[in-house]
Amino acid sequence: MSTRKPLKQLISEHKTAVILALIIVVGGSIGTYFAIDYLNAQNPEKITLATTTSTYDSGLLDYLLPKFTEQTGIQIKVLSVGTGTAIQYGKDGNADVILVHSRSREDDFVNVSLGENGLPYGIHRACIMFNDFIIVGHETNPANLQSGDSITTVITKLRNAIDTGNMTFYSRGDDSGTHSKEKALWAGIGVVPATRWANQPDKYTETGQGMAATLLMTYEDVDAAHEGYTIVDRGTWLSFYEDYISLNILAESIVGEDLLLNPYGAIPVNPVLHPHVKFLSACRFVGFLTSPYGQTLINAYRKNNQILFHASFGTCNHNCSCSTTTDEITIWTPFQAEFADLIV
Amino acid sequence: MANEIIEGILEGLRLIFTFDPEVWGVIEVSFRVSLTSTLLAALIALPIGSFIGLREFKGKKEVTNLINTFMGFPPVVMGLVIYLLLSRSGPFGVLGLLYSTSAMIIAQFLLAVPIIMGTAKAAIESVDPTLKETVLSLGANERQLWWELIKHSKKSIIAGFLVAFGQAISEVGAVMIVGGNIRWETRTFTTSIVLQTRMGEFGMAIALGVILITIAFIVNYGLTRLQTRVD
Repeated sequence: MSTRKPLKQLISEHKTAVILALIIVVGGSIGTYFAIDYLNAQNPEKITLATTTSTYDSGLLDYLLPKFTEQTGIQIKVLSVGTGTAIQYGKDGNADVILVHSRSREDDFVNVSLGENGLPYGIHRACIMFNDFIIVGHETNPANLQSGDSITTVITKLRNAIDTGNMTFYSRGDDSGTHSKEKALWAGIGVVPATRWANQPDKYTETGQGMAATLLMTYEDVDAAHEGYTIVDRGTWLSFYEDYISLNILAESIVGEDLLLNPYGAIPVNPVLHPHVKFLSACRFVGFLTSPYGQTLINAYRKNNQILFHASFGTCNHNCSCSTTTDEITIWTPFQAEFADLIV
Repeated sequence: MANEIIEGILEGLRLIFTFDPEVWGVIEVSFRVSLTSTLLAALIALPIGSFIGLREFKGKKEVTNLINTFMGFPPVVMGLVIYLLLSRSGPFGVLGLLYSTSAMIIAQFLLAVPIIMGTAKAAIESVDPTLKETVLSLGANERQLWWELIKHSKKSIIAGFLVAFGQAISEVGAVMIVGGNIRWETRTFTTSIVLQTRMGEFGMAIALGVILITIAFIVNYGLTRLQTRVD
């Protein structure tokens, strides 16, 4: 107590000075704090990647990114969101590069006429890898999907089963790449789920959540009256199928059909539209992903001893029915050079 | 599932005591962000809130209504507002603060201010009016009265601060939107738990939950002790 009194006196004698000092200290530290974050945002060695939950939650990026950082010194901040959100982040300039899976919307993203002020949002899409979508459900299979059914037959059977109330389809409903694919499949037989089953939420359920959560809801729905089905990318499925033992793959691509293919593309954000984006670092990252080194790494990645993604740069026309031109492939060659000598 | 919970708790203890850098990083970010934002909010909200409680003025009712409304402001909406403001396409985009701990502090600060302000105001108002009269009759000026009332309602004010801190550290919507859940940088307890659950790593998610609850308990216990000693 003896030391407290003089201190109290000291403070009361120099009130203005104390208050001023307090303001300076607090204001100064807050200012420094914000300044550090501001400078970090300018640092070309730190870029932001907006990507889909399937690439991050599967562990692929945690496996790839340290190898990129080791080579280039560039750190990557990952925003793991749905494809729709990732594309929006790119459009707003909140990400330097995006890695997503919805081909039609990627094309819109780099399309001049759909950009802002006559400028496209992104520059040069690169096909990185692919896997495929599958339809999963419970063993009793009320929709009676057979292996060997074409995807059109599968979707038609699902529509009929929903109409007769024998099953529930779980849709992501979150504007993700998977959701886009699902809507495209319904559109193929002329169905708009949102309006067709608008008043039957127990038959067509929009979860509004990630793939894993949607799989879980499908798994939990074993009510004999309406068993759950959903569409899922194979990468997520392979990460989770051991947890959801009663779910099975009921439909997948048959040979010669590519409607269920799921290609992933990387696009750097346009630096003319958003002058602050770190275009060069973003291009180096795409160079890493498309280089033989990066492609081999993607092919080598395993989870539960399963291949989750197949590298596809340069071979996507053959593998995923892309229409990539030679120019779109050679443009990355200079950015791949720095990874040429690396071996997996 | 029961197995998973027990395994999760054991995993949590292991992660804490082996000083797992990721877990401790998450703890550090959570505390740095929530403590800074709540302390800053207290610095501003306490004087203003107690002043409103002390004085009678025209429009006090409306101000009170406004504070009470903002006390229940949905955090996720605050996240959206801050996102739109700090987005590169937004008015403060040039600052480049989106997806940083600064953005998270701003959001939590704005959520904490009305809570601390409201409780401080209510605390001052609930002081027995005879005390006010006594202090004034002893010749105190307004500033001295104000200080006396604050000292008298210390308990409720600390409680208000605790509520604001508790909300800040357990909040998930706003920090997810403006922080982006970036590993090593803006990942907090809550956003980490969301991610781990999504990835099916329930053990890690439970571990973080257990740590969060334990820390909250320790902090509250310490502050309750402090509070009882104050009297």
